[in-house]
Order: sequence, then structure tokens, then C-alpha cells
Amino acid sequence: MGFLDAYRVVDFTNERGLLAGRLLADLGADVIQVEPPGGSSARRVGPFADDGESLYWAAYAANKRGVTCNLDTKEGQELALALCVEADFVFESETPGTMARRGLSYDDVQRVNPRAVYTSITPFGSDGPKAAYADSELVLWAAGGPLAAHQDGDRPPLRISVPQAYLHAAADAAGGALIAHLAGRRTGAGQHVDVSVVQSVTQATLSRILATAVGDPQGSALIAAEADGKVDQSGSGSGTAGTKWQVRDGYVAMHLALGPAAGRFTNNLFAWLREEGACDAQLAEVDWCAVPERDLLERARSAVAEFMSRKTKREVLEASLERKLLAAPILTVGDLAESAQLEARSFWVELGDQVLPGPFAQVTADAFAFRRPAPRLGEHNAEVFGEILGLLA
Amino acid sequence: MTVQALSGLRVLDLCWVVAGPAVGRVLADHGAEVVRVESSTRLDTARLIGPFHDGAPTAESSILYGDVNAGKLGLTLNLRLEQARDVLRDLVRRSDVVLESFSPGVMDGWGLGYDELRALNESVIVLSTSLMGQTGPLGTFAGYGNIGAAMSGFQSLVGWPDRVPFGPYGPYSDYVAPRFALVILLAALDRRAETGEGCHIDVAQVETAAYFLAPQIADCLTSGHVAGRMGNRDPELAPHGVYPSSDGRWVAIAVRGDEDWRALAEQLGVSDERFATTSGRLAHVDELDDRVGEWTARQPAAAVEALLQEHGVPAHVAIDSETAIDDAQFRSRAHFVELEHELYGKTVVQGSRYRLSGTPAVVDRSAPTLGRDNDYVLHDLLGYDDARIAALDVVGALT
Repeated sequence: MGFLDAYRVVDFTNERGLLAGRLLADLGADVIQVEPPGGSSARRVGPFADDGESLYWAAYAANKRGVTCNLDTKEGQELALALCVEADFVFESETPGTMARRGLSYDDVQRVNPRAVYTSITPFGSDGPKAAYADSELVLWAAGGPLAAHQDGDRPPLRISVPQAYLHAAADAAGGALIAHLAGRRTGAGQHVDVSVVQSVTQATLSRILATAVGDPQGSALIAAEADGKVDQSGSGSGTAGTKWQVRDGYVAMHLALGPAAGRFTNNLFAWLREEGACDAQLAEVDWCAVPERDLLERARSAVAEFMSRKTKREVLEASLERKLLAAPILTVGDLAESAQLEARSFWVELGDQVLPGPFAQVTADAFAFRRPAPRLGEHNAEVFGEILGLLA
Repeated sequence: MTVQALSGLRVLDLCWVVAGPAVGRVLADHGAEVVRVESSTRLDTARLIGPFHDGAPTAESSILYGDVNAGKLGLTLNLRLEQARDVLRDLVRRSDVVLESFSPGVMDGWGLGYDELRALNESVIVLSTSLMGQTGPLGTFAGYGNIGAAMSGFQSLVGWPDRVPFGPYGPYSDYVAPRFALVILLAALDRRAETGEGCHIDVAQVETAAYFLAPQIADCLTSGHVAGRMGNRDPELAPHGVYPSSDGRWVAIAVRGDEDWRALAEQLGVSDERFATTSGRLAHVDELDDRVGEWTARQPAAAVEALLQEHGVPAHVAIDSETAIDDAQFRSRAHFVELEHELYGKTVVQGSRYRLSGTPAVVDRSAPTLGRDNDYVLHDLLGYDDARIAALDVVGALT
């Protein structure tokens, strides 16, 4: 049982929008993923398992049923439109204009099913001068603002090394579609929901994209700047030199906070060093709630660096909990897979061959339903076309 | 005025900074009445984060605060006082949804845990959002901005391979979590419309961010491969990078395959068989990046974007706040919305990220200054008389 058990979703998306339908499927909706007979382009997105299966597909098409349908033939278009007649939600992520050419635009679906919520996920939006621009993950990250904001010294601004832009938009699409659905409860009418990746990723600028518009072109990031007055351009302290410390098995993030508000965390840290004989008597006695002299701070940094280099991520995490430190391990995807916290909250579900994120919230009611792994090509053709259309009775 | 998707929905927003308030902002855009409760005795961290109006930091000048709280009513309550908590209880009685992002346990400590809120209002939906979730061995792990990014894997996934991991821009899990929180909350509202039942929803920011790494985690579990930072490069595409221009801006270019490469090579004036295939380009990626960078450096970034897009190659200026306001696409999509503001005359926020054809978002009121709507909320919404409001004021409950 899931919150959205009562609904049917027809999902025409490719890798740009695959996640949206997965979120609704996780909440119980019957999501029918439509692919071309040669397979969705999302099946060609890495990383890949040893047998060549796309793990992007495995992750974000999970929990859906799958059918094949050639949308570039008249028969296929008629079949697809027939699927939409019974749909509460339709999702698509083609280049603007493509679905209209196939007779499967919002207007076309609306004609056969006026209550359907039809959501389009497009790189730049369904309209506007750049609507037809060629797109890629990196280029959209640039166009929406989070790229330029983020520069490590003299080198070019940095993206995240794992594709993210389309995921932001696809998650927004699920939210936008549900807003439209709640509207439909009142009006009885469906509508078109238009989500652009570029506008979705602006959220990842921490509103810094508004800086010039309000007369703060330097976009002063945080008041809570470093004690020495340097402004951290990372937006969160992550770019500040000296907040990443090497440990035996990777890195930890830790801020040597000074001053009346947060100096106590550094006092807690030095209590740990003192207990393990890792700092001299003078350092051990410093009250970091007062801002120390520079040479003292530098000696403190060296002592901490030396101390940390002998610790592991796990040891620092445990100390952080017990001793109240402003420290956290910089986890890798491998660490996440082994996280006791995620395990304790039953975050993972095993679907087919894969272990995947499952419930994205803990709810005091049956909210989620995990039913099946991502479909094989055409896996549910007979079942879906049979039950919905009576074609293969 | 057309009916909005969430007209009539009453939301009590006790969140702060970004991950929580961003959810309430969407609800307000779509017609919900959102009462944002905060205290002037302990300012919302978002009020301390820039950018600031005219570059001058004050408690009222943060545009980050303004952006994630537009359209809400502002009520100041000092929840350390029981009298203030009683006001909160009255608000819960008339609310459909309560949003909160206190450290796990704080609401319980105040006698405002889910069971107690449910006793006041049986069908209330309570959404709690926190870094690690309300339960589990790390449920009490508190953190500052980038800890969510560290604990969800993202700190390890941004940076140059020859440097210390740089991490994503800002508190990355705060950008991801509200989208998931919104989806589950709207689904819970739909269920409540059918059954009349409320629920408690516990969103862990780190889990939602991990959801955005699902393929990489599956890769690690099946093959042992651990994704890491690789600058701006892509394991399967080249060239794929961010290049300099003659005007100091950066331009991103991504070649998706041989066809893109042929179009780019023609502009570069390069005809080199070594670069003809993806594997060849990947094998010579350093040289390729130099060639592309030398070419882009001779022209303005916008010209590179226009020229390459004309030939079907993905390219875009790395937009910053200055280029954003003049960007033709943002303008055409009305992404930036000007609003009246009590102190600044006007302010600017971002528009809705969803364009709904039938019941569009309405963004027509700036975020509250501290206590802006106290009188309206206490008098008009709760029906308190002047004497009661004065009594609350006198003990400092309304600060």
C-alpha cells in the first residue's frame, strides 16, 4: 500500500526525467514506462554493471512496469494515446516540439483525457529563445548558475563529478505534477506542468543568483566569515582552506571554530588531543572562545593535522558524537552503502539484482510500495496492453 | 482571480535556514496560507547569509531569506516561553500542515511532539526535516552547513583529482531535500483528502541526497568501483569542460559524440584523426582541452555559446548573478520576480520552478520582516483580543 496507489502514470521520459515517475511509483502509483522498441536512451547512461546493464536505468526506472511502443509510427502513436486515456499523470522529457509532432502533446492528450496532469521536463523550458538549445549535464549546470558560483582558486569553476541537473528537475516535476493533481481534485481539470532543468538548478546557488539584482554584485556569501575576515566563496565553509583534514582512510570536514559562539567546539577538540597527549601544555590550556593570536592558531592547526592523520573517519565520527565536535567524515559512495544510520532507518530496498534507495522518508502510515526492479525491455507489454486496452485478450 | 491549487490550505512553518522553508515557499506560491514562525531572539541563520540588499548585512536584508520565505505571513514567537507555546498550540489547532526543522527532540522537549500535536488536531500532517533523520544512531548528530554534503557523499565528488576534495557549492543536501519533502507531503495531503487521516513525515536530508547517487552506490555494491572527483571531466565524453574566454567569463562545452566533435572541430580548425572517435579523444584529453581553451580564450564567452549552439554543440556561459538578469531565457521565462518591500521599496525573488497552465503560481508578496504579520495572525486568524495580545507582548512571548 502506498499513498498514491489509486493512480496510473504513463511515463514517456528518457534519462532527463526518469526519476519523476520513480518517485510516484515509490508512493504506490502504477507507473507504466514507455520505451522505443530499441530501448530507452536511459539504458545507455552509465555507470554500467559487468553484464552491461545501465545502473542509471536500474536505479531510476525501478518500481515501474515497462512497455515498448514506437512513437514514430502512426500505430504506436495511437497506442500511446490510448494508454493516456486512463492516466492520471503523464510525464515526458523530449526536446520541445517532439511530442506535438507525434500527436502526443498536452493538447492532444487533453482532448482524450481532460483530467490528466501532463508534465514536461525540458532542458531550458518548453519555450523561450533557448528552448531548442543543445543540452548536456555540464552545460545546464552552467546555464542555471551553480557552476560559476564555485571555483577552487585559479582553476575553472567546478561541477559535481556525478550528473545531477536532470535529477533536480525530475524531482521538481514530481512535485509540480502533484500540485496540479491537487488542483484537479477541486477543478476536475488536468493541466500542463512545464519544468525547466535550468530553472530547477538555480536552487543550488543558495539564492546567490539574485545577488546583482538586489545590489550586492559581489554576492557576499556569509556573515559568518573566517576569523581572519576572509570571505569563503563556497557558500558553506566548504571552500575554506583548513576545513578538510586528511585521516588514515580519507578526509574529514572540520571547522576550527573560534569566538564566543562556537569556540567551545574547538575546546572539546583540544580536550580530546590533551587526553591522548597530542598537544603541548600551552595549547591544551587555550580557551578558543577568545580569538587567539595567529602563531598560536597555526601551532594548533599543525597539532590537529598531525593528530587527525592517525585517526579514521569512523573514529572521528564517533568522537564527534561523544564529544560534540564540528566534525564529520567526508563519506564516499562506498561508505554510504555501509552506513549504519541508513541501515537502521531501512533506507535500502533490494529489487531484483540491485540494492537501491527505498523510502525517502519515514512515515507513520503506509506511504511506500516497493514492488519490482526496473523493467526488462517490453517486459509488461502483454500485461499492460492486455489489461488496459483489451488488445491482446 | 482563478482558484489556486492549494487555496484554503493552512500551513504552520516552524522551519529555518533553507531545507524546510523552501517547502513552505512552494505551498505559499500555490495559494496556501503559510504562517512562518521565528524568533528575533535567535535569528534564522538564513537572515545572516547573503547576498544582502545593497551589500549591507542586516537582519532584514538577506535575499536568501527573502527568496525562500516569499509569500508567507511572519509571526515572531519566543518558543522558550510557555505562553508562546500556547499560541503555537492554537495555531496547530487550525492548521492542516505543520513544517518543522528543529534538531530532533526539541519539539518533544517543548511538549510539541507529534503525539501532542495530534491530540490538538487529529488530522494534522507534521513534516519534520533534519540532517540525519529523527531516528537511528546518528539521529542526534547536529551539523553546520556542509556536514550534510559530507555525510551524503557529495564532498568527495567535487574537486580536482590532484587537490583536496572541494565539495559542492553550499549545503547541497538543502537543495535536494525540499523536493522530496514536497512530494511526500503532497501525497500525504492527497491521502488525507480521501481518508481524513494525518501522519508524521520524517525526512532526512542526507537520505534524499543519497537518492541522487543511487546509480553510483549500486555501482559500488556490484563492482566495488567508488566514484570520485574528476574535475569537470566525464568518463565517457571528451572534450567536456569549462573554458576561459576573452571577457573573463567561463564557458561550458560538452561534446556528446562524434557528430558534436566534427561540428566543434570545424570551428576550431582542427583536423586530426586521433580525435575522430570518443576513445581517441579520451586518450588525448589534456591536449584536446588545451586546444579548446586556446580557441575560447580569444572570444567573448557569449559568442562561443551562440556559435557552438548554432552548430548544435552543447555550450553555455557559466551564468552568474550579473549575466543571469540579462539572460534571454531567464527573462523570457520570467524567472526573476520583482516584489514590493517594506524597507527596500522593492526586492527580487526567484519565480516558481513549475509553470502550471491552469493554476499558475502567484508570487506577489515579499518575505516577512520580523513580526510583520503578528497582529494579523493573532487578531484576525486566532481571534485574540487586544488584552490577550498585550499580555503576550508584556512577557516577551512575541519576540
